[in-house]
Amino acid sequence: MTGNRLGRLLNILDYALSSLGRKSLKNGGVFIIFTLVVFLFASFQLVSRALTEAAQTVLATAPDITVQQMSAGRQVSIASSAKIPLAPIFGIKKIEERIWGYYFDESNGANYTIIGLPARAGDSGGTQLFGLAEGRLPVASERGQVAISDNVRRQLQLGNRKHFSLFRPDLSQASFATVGLFAPKTEILTADLMVMNLADARDLFAIADGFVTDLLVSVANPNEIETIARKISEKLPGSRVITRNQILKTYKVVFNRRSGLGTVCLLTALAAFVILAWDKASGLSREERKEVAILKILGWQTSDIMLLRFCESLSLSLLAFISGYLLAWVHVVFWGGALFRPIFLGWSVIRPVFSLAPPLAASDLLLVFSLSVVPYLCATAVPAWRAATVRADSVI
Amino acid sequence: MRPSTGLLMTLMILSMLGGAVAHTVLIKRGEQAENLQILQGVVASLGLSDLALSTEARYTRHPAVSDPVVVSMDHPGAIDHFPSTFFWAPVARP
Repeated sequence: MTGNRLGRLLNILDYALSSLGRKSLKNGGVFIIFTLVVFLFASFQLVSRALTEAAQTVLATAPDITVQQMSAGRQVSIASSAKIPLAPIFGIKKIEERIWGYYFDESNGANYTIIGLPARAGDSGGTQLFGLAEGRLPVASERGQVAISDNVRRQLQLGNRKHFSLFRPDLSQASFATVGLFAPKTEILTADLMVMNLADARDLFAIADGFVTDLLVSVANPNEIETIARKISEKLPGSRVITRNQILKTYKVVFNRRSGLGTVCLLTALAAFVILAWDKASGLSREERKEVAILKILGWQTSDIMLLRFCESLSLSLLAFISGYLLAWVHVVFWGGALFRPIFLGWSVIRPVFSLAPPLAASDLLLVFSLSVVPYLCATAVPAWRAATVRADSVI
Repeated sequence: MRPSTGLLMTLMILSMLGGAVAHTVLIKRGEQAENLQILQGVVASLGLSDLALSTEARYTRHPAVSDPVVVSMDHPGAIDHFPSTFFWAPVARP
């Protein structure tokens, strides 16, 4: 009995595939568009997933608490003396000053991120750092030293030269010597970085003595970060206190595909495709009506013809889904999401080189499946019913 | 050959291609896991808060520590003109 049912199903599937082949032009068009929609949707999702995961894992060691000063809704420099009222807060291990900002290079339109750091204790006077391909970090005792990425070196057209100059706000020049080079495999973090000591950064940005960009607070017990952050914001009126948890939360939503015009465009494409599928499936041609009539005369039931149409839709959509999803993986893993890079990198002159490897998650697969194959099957169900209920005597 | 056999063979070929891609992904993820410790060291050493992906605007370069109102910063209600903001969502503050 089961064998008979399977044999019947296989026969109907054979007929459905032959039927698809007979209308190859129409079905080929639907297949290509379906594959393209799945490809775009899945690519977007995989790129977002890979970047979100990268941020969550890489930034797990971000500063416990970052304290900034706000004025009129914008960030301004914070006084170094702000450390004084924070010192009595129990649980704070260390407070570090930091100056950072952006340097716009008018010659090539690149934006560099300048970070001025005090020397780190416990790491050979701040000279050792993970991620340096060669050299060391600048030290506090020597001025005019900088560690840069290879990308920045290319933008500055340094070649084998070590020295270069940057303009201060008054257009006088500050000279720097490259003492360290970040490894290419850290580009996702260091692509646009120039790391120098605090005094050099203060001099370059002409920031007044006694002021820094922000304070980095280390907390002894990670469970107390939120409590200490609340105490800091109470002690420093007008400050903005950002915890590591908030940074990670930001990166959970920042690449979210549910926001941004990218998603709107993709959903529009999906909607357009469903309309196309409906239109293609509902436009019963004379030949199709004749075919259904002949099948009915030969003894096919309405349920058989429904099953036939379902097999057609399922075969087409499943093949297109698998092809599109596979192409999306190839696009993201082998080509680094090349189609979407111009969107999420925008007009950036400095473009980091990094590879994307999203996790193999069944939830992603199910999401794309339910947003592509299921709407298609739904869109073709009613036309299939209309086709199956054609009266044989009305056609022949 | 029956059309259903052809379909089955096509699905098998696609599955094999999928297996090859999955294999490559696993290798790449292994490499990334090895690199993760270095990246976390860089973040901890330099006190970094953001990924260096888009450097065109400060709210895409440093979304985690930008001004809360930095999107539409030119004037209230201004439409953003940077292409990457189509991809980068405005940051929700708690």
